[in-house]
Amino acid sequence: MTGHSDSSSSEKKSNEEMNDVPVFSAENMQNNMKVIYYSRTFMSIIGGVIAGILGFTGFMGFVFYFLVMTITSIGLIAKAKFSVHLYVDSWNRIILDGFMGGLMSFVLFWTFAYDIVHIF
Amino acid sequence: MGLGLIIGVFGVLFLFHAAYSTIQYRGLLKIMDEEFSVPSMNVVLELLLGFVFCVSAALTVPGDFLSIHPDSEENRIVSLPSNLDFMIFNHRAKALPFDVDMKLH
Repeated sequence: MTGHSDSSSSEKKSNEEMNDVPVFSAENMQNNMKVIYYSRTFMSIIGGVIAGILGFTGFMGFVFYFLVMTITSIGLIAKAKFSVHLYVDSWNRIILDGFMGGLMSFVLFWTFAYDIVHIF
Repeated sequence: MGLGLIIGVFGVLFLFHAAYSTIQYRGLLKIMDEEFSVPSMNVVLELLLGFVFCVSAALTVPGDFLSIHPDSEENRIVSLPSNLDFMIFNHRAKALPFDVDMKLH
């Protein structure tokens, strides 16, 4: 009885077309997604603390978040040594993944830092 | 990863120090009856330095990118023996004539 093996180079297909299907190593793809997620979350928190210390209110804070996310994306692309197709399967993953979840963390730490520095 | 972690800790420490000096600056402005409009210049510089440290820590601490193509150079070796589904513990080696005491006479 063959179990659901989780060996180091298990492969999965990613398209519905029957010919010319790209095959990727799923475990390495998961590892890359995890790295991107951790990096983005940490940078969202740090960006929130900086926005709170600098005293941004309203729209300026979201502009700052967008700037921090852009810098993080550029940093991740530089970490992939500019040949992104070797590590992720589409550009959206390295640019847009974790954007909304990072926004929640950013706003949380932004209000937290702003309250501590400017109000209390 | 150790160096990246230390750089990240230093970045966070710079951020905390900048927050503390901004709190003190606001207290000073309250004493002098002025409004807080712009943080002082050294706080901005310290925040920028802390941000650079944290960016470099965020890019190095979580780990490296691994190549996802199965035919790239570092994916060549398939470590199949580490898969529990293919390990056999009940095989014919118990029939091999290995005597336990093989002393030199």
